[in-house]
Amino acid sequence: MAVDVARPPVSPPRAGSSRRAALLVIGVLTAIALVVRVADPERVAWLQNFLIVFGSLLVEAMPFVLLGAFVSAAIEVFVPTSVFTGLGRLPRPLQLPTAALAGVAFPVCECGSVPVARRLAQKGLAPSAAVTFMLAAPILNPVVVASTFVAYRGRDSLWTMVLGRMALGFLVAIAVGWVIGATRKEDLLRPRPDDVDDEDGVEPSERRWARFASHLTGDVVFMGRFLVLGAAIAGAVQTFVPQTLVGKVADLPVLSLVAMMALAFLMSLCSESDAFVAASFTLFGPSAQLAFLVAGPMIDLKLGALYAGTYSKGFLRTVIVVVFGATLVGTMWMQVVFG
Amino acid sequence: MSRSWSSSRVAAGLVLASWASLFWFLLVTGRWSLYLSTRTFWVVPTGAALLTVAAALRLASARTEDRDPLSSRTSWMLGAIALPVVLILALPPATLSSYALGRRAGFVGSGVSVSAEDIASGQLSFIDVAAAQTSKDGMVALRARAGERVTLEGFVWRESGAAADEILLTRYVITCCVADATSAQVRVVNVPPGRFQADDWVSVTGRIYPLGNQILIDASGVTGIAQPQHPYLTP
Repeated sequence: MAVDVARPPVSPPRAGSSRRAALLVIGVLTAIALVVRVADPERVAWLQNFLIVFGSLLVEAMPFVLLGAFVSAAIEVFVPTSVFTGLGRLPRPLQLPTAALAGVAFPVCECGSVPVARRLAQKGLAPSAAVTFMLAAPILNPVVVASTFVAYRGRDSLWTMVLGRMALGFLVAIAVGWVIGATRKEDLLRPRPDDVDDEDGVEPSERRWARFASHLTGDVVFMGRFLVLGAAIAGAVQTFVPQTLVGKVADLPVLSLVAMMALAFLMSLCSESDAFVAASFTLFGPSAQLAFLVAGPMIDLKLGALYAGTYSKGFLRTVIVVVFGATLVGTMWMQVVFG
Repeated sequence: MSRSWSSSRVAAGLVLASWASLFWFLLVTGRWSLYLSTRTFWVVPTGAALLTVAAALRLASARTEDRDPLSSRTSWMLGAIALPVVLILALPPATLSSYALGRRAGFVGSGVSVSAEDIASGQLSFIDVAAAQTSKDGMVALRARAGERVTLEGFVWRESGAAADEILLTRYVITCCVADATSAQVRVVNVPPGRFQADDWVSVTGRIYPLGNQILIDASGVTGIAQPQHPYLTP
């Protein structure tokens, strides 16, 4: 996997320029608030549509990112490194499925699993296992399984969708982990200015909580900007690109699968709700809907921004190629069997 | 070494506090329903509590021995994270309008509360009527109730070439958040021509008639209403 990571040179900021920058940022935010109030977005339909979708994606995703950051900070501060290095000694054929199944116990959507996976890799878990966990958790967790069941209840394809999603999600996550292979964490994770090597020694509780706060805030601030960027892109796509575009290829065997994966990528839905949207695409067969449900929680615009900020450049390319490739192959088999 | 306030930590704490304020605001004013469904409402108090704790932890640990000034880059980064808070707070209480209709898929009768049994008995809701149009069993159940009086609320949409007294009464159905919205529509006839424009919210009372694969409401009363507190439906 290509790796091009470089830590930017850091020079200490001067107090005067920092204060000016901070005041400028506050000024810009105030000006934007005034413009939105005065312009009245209700008169500009596309702007109103964009702001509502953008806002809703963030209002839903931010608590999950925060939850992930809490877990991530707790792992960093309270769980000894030895736990993860011990797991890292397991043979890979055993490590990857175990990591994928561990996702069952992590009932949050995809945004929350990114900071946790990063922390797991940093603490010594094999990076391939951390990535497998990150990709499998948003599909295998019980909340998502239940929502898929509810969305397809009463349909002939119910068990094809529920079990097919779990099985294919499990296999695709392992496939990505396998391709990442023995990549070292230094090559996989983008360095962050707030990365520090904490010791596992006993420290006074006050210091430990301060470290917890630092890691928590570091994760939220780091992920937050990419989340905002991803939500903005997804909001724009939802505002300007009609979903009905993909309907034209619904009857075409392979194109229908590709179209539904592309749609999942563009829509950037939460894995806990995407089954209801997939179920609404009645023109498409179960295999195409399954492609939507497996690829979407692993890679979309919002996640692409998060991955780009968290991992090396090669990682995003690897995930896109392997997730789309493996999902396509899996759903083509499904198409042959179930139509 | 003496401890002093770290400007970057204070700034990060304030940005987290602004997000916490946004979630409390959405919770207290009920505006969460403009972004989330009743199913995912729990995200709002959870987010408000977690963000408050995170902000408090950051601010409580903002005094440090190291000099930790706020760089211009960090200022802009924190500004970008605070931008959605500003936008959501500044945005008037608006919902998806007819602009989004052509860009969204239609609602299908999946979900817990939409089944032929639900449609066959009790008061007919908008989701019952919309879902009946997408399933054979639902349509059969609704045919048994032809001629019954219903009252439904939604916003107005007119198809091009439609008769002057005909509208499509429309609601968006969301499961988690507005990003997953699908549209549900019911055809209404006998509406006073020219009285209502696209996106006007109305309450329609009339008799319901399943015709072929469609459902028609013959309106006996159509009145303009304010946008409901919960503009989106959840199945």
